[in-house]
Amino acid sequence: MIRKHTRRAAKAVFAISLGVAIVLGGTATAAPKKTAAAPTIVVGTKNFTEEYILGQLYKQALEGAGFKVSYKESIGSSELIDTAITSGKINFYPEYTGVIVQDLAKKKSPSSAAATFAAAKKFEETRGLTLLNATPFYDTDSFGMLTSTAKKLGVKTIADMKKVKSFSFAGYPECKTRITCLLGLKQVYGLTQVQFVPLASISVYTLLDQGKITAGDVFSTDPQLAGTKYTILVDTNHIFGFQNVAPVVSQKLLSAAGPKFAQIVNAVSAKLTLQAMIAMNKAVAIDKATPAAVAAGFLKANNLK
Amino acid sequence: MLADQFEPGTFVDAFRFMGHNAGFLLQKSGEHLELSLTALGIALLLSLPLGLWLGHRHRGLFFAVSVSNVGRALPSLVLIAVGLTIFGVGFWNNTAALVVLAVPPILTNAYFAIDGVDRDVVEAARGMGLGELQVLWRVELPLGLPLVIAGIRIAVIFVIATATIAAIAGGGGLGEIIVDQPSYGLSGVVAASLCVSALAFLAALLLSLLLRQMSRRPGPIP
Amino acid sequence: MTPALASGGGPVIPNFGQGSSCEIHNGWFCTDWVRAHWGDTLQPALVQHVELAAIAVAIGFVLASALAFAGFRFRLLDPPIGFFADFLYTIPSLALFQLLVPLTGLTVTTVEIALVSYTLLILYRNMIEGLRGVPPDALEAARGSGFTRLQTLVHVELPLALPAVIAGLRIATVSTISIATVAAFVIPEGLGRPIFVALEQEVFKTEILTAGGLAVLLALSADAVLVLAQRALTPWSRLERRA
Repeated sequence: MIRKHTRRAAKAVFAISLGVAIVLGGTATAAPKKTAAAPTIVVGTKNFTEEYILGQLYKQALEGAGFKVSYKESIGSSELIDTAITSGKINFYPEYTGVIVQDLAKKKSPSSAAATFAAAKKFEETRGLTLLNATPFYDTDSFGMLTSTAKKLGVKTIADMKKVKSFSFAGYPECKTRITCLLGLKQVYGLTQVQFVPLASISVYTLLDQGKITAGDVFSTDPQLAGTKYTILVDTNHIFGFQNVAPVVSQKLLSAAGPKFAQIVNAVSAKLTLQAMIAMNKAVAIDKATPAAVAAGFLKANNLK
Repeated sequence: MLADQFEPGTFVDAFRFMGHNAGFLLQKSGEHLELSLTALGIALLLSLPLGLWLGHRHRGLFFAVSVSNVGRALPSLVLIAVGLTIFGVGFWNNTAALVVLAVPPILTNAYFAIDGVDRDVVEAARGMGLGELQVLWRVELPLGLPLVIAGIRIAVIFVIATATIAAIAGGGGLGEIIVDQPSYGLSGVVAASLCVSALAFLAALLLSLLLRQMSRRPGPIP
Repeated sequence: MTPALASGGGPVIPNFGQGSSCEIHNGWFCTDWVRAHWGDTLQPALVQHVELAAIAVAIGFVLASALAFAGFRFRLLDPPIGFFADFLYTIPSLALFQLLVPLTGLTVTTVEIALVSYTLLILYRNMIEGLRGVPPDALEAARGSGFTRLQTLVHVELPLALPAVIAGLRIATVSTISIATVAAFVIPEGLGRPIFVALEQEVFKTEILTAGGLAVLLALSADAVLVLAQRALTPWSRLERRA
């Protein structure tokens, strides 16, 4: 009796798991079919809050207009996501114009936002990609520290940091090799005494609050900068460049998706002013709303959804 | 994503990375061991005596089993994150998390090792007039040593492997390279990962040798 | 000024509301956050996590069974299979996920391959030990009763190996649920995702504690379910214990 009971049970377990494995194998090998009609827009984003919001804005606006959108959030830094788009894994992502020119194309920063956009567009077009319109808002890296630290050290501009004997500076790992970040601090400002602290998953503000670092790479649209707790040193040498956001799209997608695609994306970009972006960043970072909800609210209020 | 750059050559590149960055890897290995060994030391202090004593008294079976079950159910990422909320960024948030991870295998194995010693042998020892502590130290522990060391071995491997994740919360060590693919490339990740595996294997090997050495000592009193 | 701007007035910035005092000041546990975001953050993450773990354990079970039969039947295969599984286990999960990305992309497949690899060691070892732990007397009795090799396997060895197999399944399931939290490092799925997001948002305690708590509860529940299954499938072990 026990034997039969166990045998049946064991057979059932084996059969179920075999069945599950077969089903999963089937679904895994079923490759997505390419339809000639409407191309799928594969939106990717980099790995921080503002990009999540931007990604959701474009994704929801396009979905609202009837496009098929596949969403790949949090792919990684510019260097990683750039490989993703050039290898065709995604075909749309929001990027900062200055990062394209200075960090991807490794060219010198132009002297205006318009020139930066033009140079970025030219660069991307040599690689089968292009840029859609830039946003009004810009978001540059900035040299941030606690206001109390700045007062104690007596510094107002980044150049002032030359007099500090040694200090630690935290940033995302890619900051180490970028002229718009650590490399610029070392080479352009001559701050060779800086010790770089790479951030893996915790934010610069956590480290600043706990006194673990002297200064860090913050973003100019961070909501934390609205108050008086933190301060940014002036970038007199403009190493941080001009950083408006412009969606990078594959030329193939642009031609296949039709004129409505660019229209919608540009309409969204046009509404992204500094004030709007800071408000949305604040809603997510401080008030703990989700990027999807914030994007939905913004699009709805502006009739873009 | 870096698919077009990945070939079996990445492993060759990993060894080249090791060659170029030997000093850096050694430094990070040192940090890694410092974190791991501190956590293991604290865990041993907390749980080994307790496990041995409970096993000796044959009390607390439920406790020992529960510690093991619950301990396994605590994801290391969660422990690291919670450690961060309690201690802030520093040495202790990661150390505390690793201690919590190391305690269950050490405690549970110590308990079962001593609990499972042949009662007749223990009775004989008591009959010869040995005190409780002597029974534990000279009779039960030598007999239960393999299982005790097995538990420590599991803890050692767990901790060394998990110390990698500590890099997320500023823990340093080889994990710092593994979470930082943008800076060190895939070859760096592979290189650091091989170092972690090597450290874990080495530690396990040392423990096996230690066990063999300790087993060569005179056995329990007949 | 920025180039190529479409004309039009400035945007309407809706009032996104304000976070509660608890959320803004990062209290230990903000029930309003949990209530507000259960549907859009916590529940989806939990469901994804269950899926990730279940698929990994199922596939791992099938693979380990095949490997265990092979290792048991052909003794020479056991050491290399065992060593390979051992080696897989020492690879830090963070590293294994990243190493697979170039091969299988930033997809669930990558995560599943890694998770399955980790279950293999536990399941393989337990299954082999279980099969080897069958008392020779039972095999003798079976042979004496005229069972064929296959009949012996199905009627004697498998049932007697079952406790070890289920014990291994318990450990593998709990470990998989635990490791699956790290999967969020490469793809934004599972309960690890809210934890990573919370770490970036200046260590948002509530999110860490709820997502972490869910992961622990999930693991403990899975363990409990398997214990019940073990008791149901091996009723004789309960009798043994009482003896």
